[in-house]
Amino acid sequence: MLEHLRVLDLTDERGLLCGRLLADLGADVVQVEPFAGSSARSAPPVAGGPAVSSLFWETFAAGKRGIAVDLDDEADVAVVRRLAARADVVVTSWPRDLVEAVGLDPVSLRAERPELVYVAVSAFGWEGPKARYADSDLVVWAAGGPLEPHRDGDRAPLRISAPQAYLHAAADAATGAMLAVLARSATGAGQVVDVSAQASLGVATLGRVLAHAVGDDHPEWHQAPVKRTDQSGSGAATPNSLKKWYCRDGMIELHLSMGPAAGTFTNNLFGWLRDEGAVEEPVASWDWRTVPDRIVAGELEESELDVARAAVRAFLLTKTKAEVLDAAIERRLLCMSIFDMSDLAASPHLEARGFWAEVDVAGVTTRIPGRIAHVTGADGPRVRRRAPRLGEHQEEVLRDWLGHAPAAAAVDLEGAAQ
Amino acid sequence: MSAALAGLKVLDLSWVVAGPLIGRALADFGAEVVRVESGTRVETARLMQPFHGGVQDKEGSVLFGNCNAGKLGVTLDLKSSSGQQVVRDLVAWADVVVESFSPGQLRKWGLDYATLSADRPDLIMLSTSIAGQDGPWSTLAGFGNVGSSLSGFQNLVGWEDALPMGPFGPYTDYVGPRLALVTLLAALENRRRTGAGCYIDVAQVEAGVFFLSPQVAQHSYDGTVAERRGNHDAVMVPHGVYPSAAEEARPGRDRFVAVVARTDDEWSLLATTIGRADLSSRPDLATAAGRRDAEVEIDDAISAWTSARTADEAEQALQAAGVAAHKAVSTADYVEDAQLAARGHLVELPHPLHGTTTVEGPRYRLSATPGGPRRAAPTLGQDNEVVLRDLLGYDDARIAALHDEGALR
Repeated sequence: MLEHLRVLDLTDERGLLCGRLLADLGADVVQVEPFAGSSARSAPPVAGGPAVSSLFWETFAAGKRGIAVDLDDEADVAVVRRLAARADVVVTSWPRDLVEAVGLDPVSLRAERPELVYVAVSAFGWEGPKARYADSDLVVWAAGGPLEPHRDGDRAPLRISAPQAYLHAAADAATGAMLAVLARSATGAGQVVDVSAQASLGVATLGRVLAHAVGDDHPEWHQAPVKRTDQSGSGAATPNSLKKWYCRDGMIELHLSMGPAAGTFTNNLFGWLRDEGAVEEPVASWDWRTVPDRIVAGELEESELDVARAAVRAFLLTKTKAEVLDAAIERRLLCMSIFDMSDLAASPHLEARGFWAEVDVAGVTTRIPGRIAHVTGADGPRVRRRAPRLGEHQEEVLRDWLGHAPAAAAVDLEGAAQ
Repeated sequence: MSAALAGLKVLDLSWVVAGPLIGRALADFGAEVVRVESGTRVETARLMQPFHGGVQDKEGSVLFGNCNAGKLGVTLDLKSSSGQQVVRDLVAWADVVVESFSPGQLRKWGLDYATLSADRPDLIMLSTSIAGQDGPWSTLAGFGNVGSSLSGFQNLVGWEDALPMGPFGPYTDYVGPRLALVTLLAALENRRRTGAGCYIDVAQVEAGVFFLSPQVAQHSYDGTVAERRGNHDAVMVPHGVYPSAAEEARPGRDRFVAVVARTDDEWSLLATTIGRADLSSRPDLATAAGRRDAEVEIDDAISAWTSARTADEAEQALQAAGVAAHKAVSTADYVEDAQLAARGHLVELPHPLHGTTTVEGPRYRLSATPGGPRRAAPTLGQDNEVVLRDLLGYDDARIAALHDEGALR
């Protein structure tokens, strides 16, 4: 869909994903790296021996071509500027001080080419009081909102164990780039798109960042769990330990929901236990829609709920994650297998949907996610090539973008490739 | 200068978070977005906190407000044939349709892409769902954690010695719309050049797995199964969230600051800043591997220092030394954050019931065609008249008939 667009990609690990998305959608994306290689080549997870670059690089630089330049060499930088003069979009996440020092900043590049869309991804934004803050995934996660409310009991707030903050920002950068490209079709002019990872994370808090502003200072996540108030069992007020269950090969997320709205799902669950003789009367025949009322009326004791929980616990230990998932679909259960990476790899659903792409990683055919969306009626997103080796496409990029390889620059960049 | 998406017409049939965030972004940049809701089966987001004044009310949710600012709101009974006819007329009006019904539901109503695009080959339609429109999981009922459980995130948040905790909220709802938006805008660019529409199927589970691409690729490469590791990092040490002093302005609230040494040099600066030059000069701590062996000792030293000052003081002292640090921002801090304020990230809008409301601004600042919410999210049925009369050209008698037969509920 974007085959007509040229993207010059001056990102490190912070913005790497942006170009991957545009490349999947068809754009010609050229990743520029310093001689020493992008820092994204050592971003975790890094697998295997010393020659192997990171899986972060191999997945999020896929679809791009690559050149390597000496950013301390004016002739090399001049080549990058000439490439920028042929680009529709330049995207960077290099530090502002660096791009300004070498004249690859938005003001310099747009002076030469007003049609250029210049996208900058940074931790806090291009300007402002924290624009030059030292940053990292965890620090941005703390600044953007999702960290603070997310606690397991009394312990410190938790991030996600796979860095996420910049992925949100880099995906937003791709959207920002497309908005500017569409605006250009009407106005003829490019512009600067400024993406702040901190600001990108607000929508990853389910509106919590807005609570104080509208006078809701006592939201659920700060209340202690109160017995019987949370009948759905799915709210944040339910202790984590009551929502997690062991099965034969892992863990299940399951809410023993009760009450008129969600009790049906627990009835469905006990129907499954009954069918397999895994629960005895009278618990087997409870109508979970009425359980809260019966507790209040004194007809049921809290301790009897423990009998029900014990039956579920024993039953689930005989089932695999895959079996629980199938039953959840078939019987409409509010329970879900907690998948790890091996479960995803074995997923019949992802297989059936053609989700995976195969790329070569250091000689190993490796499956990577290959469908950001499924499109019919147009040439939809897909992985078009593996991530580039350092300086792999020097000659062909100069030929394709500049028409010919200028002698001096070609020699310089030739050196970079070796 | 005109807005990036000026003139674009969008019919938004989606609900909760993942779908509505798409139309919200389009509205910010100039599109005219009509959001269809049921007035009787009130959409989930309207029932979700935070609420204005902390009072649960279907017109008080700022989660709903944040996902729907700038849209026109119309209430329709989609089960009624005349309600469905209004939708067909809105499709004829629209360039883009966004929907998030259970896969197959629109086909039952004759409102699926194949039917709608038969005489509208330029129509772009986007469906967003938990697992996608086809495949063995496509009939999965969506609830809170399904997307994060099946995409691997649920297992990747938590302490090493505790149960998996999962991410905050329905995490794939925050990922799906970002991938949906860039694909949708690419489809608009494609239509601008070729005149052709297309159909886009976005699955939250797949979007979630995409944000774990490195981890799932590593499993394919060498069989490694990624595990949760608290706040620890694969490379950097120290890397954690530390308690800071209580604050009068935030009574009863635990306070924390995130601190990271990205490099060996920054570790040295960090140790010196917290008054532990002795640690800074210790050779066994000069590398991240060495520091990992002494992680408890280092974390204790940092905690002792952070606990003796406010999160702000800790952040500022460490940042002044060039060390990555930031307080864990609470909802009250968010309003006061100097950087977000400088960006104008929070936007106050007039609201018919609450006087004013607050929403987030766009996540991308465009220098020449800046976007932003132009009005608060609609109250239920707020724009029924405007949509039916001005956009669809219905006369008063037809509107009255629709009203009388209950199609506008």
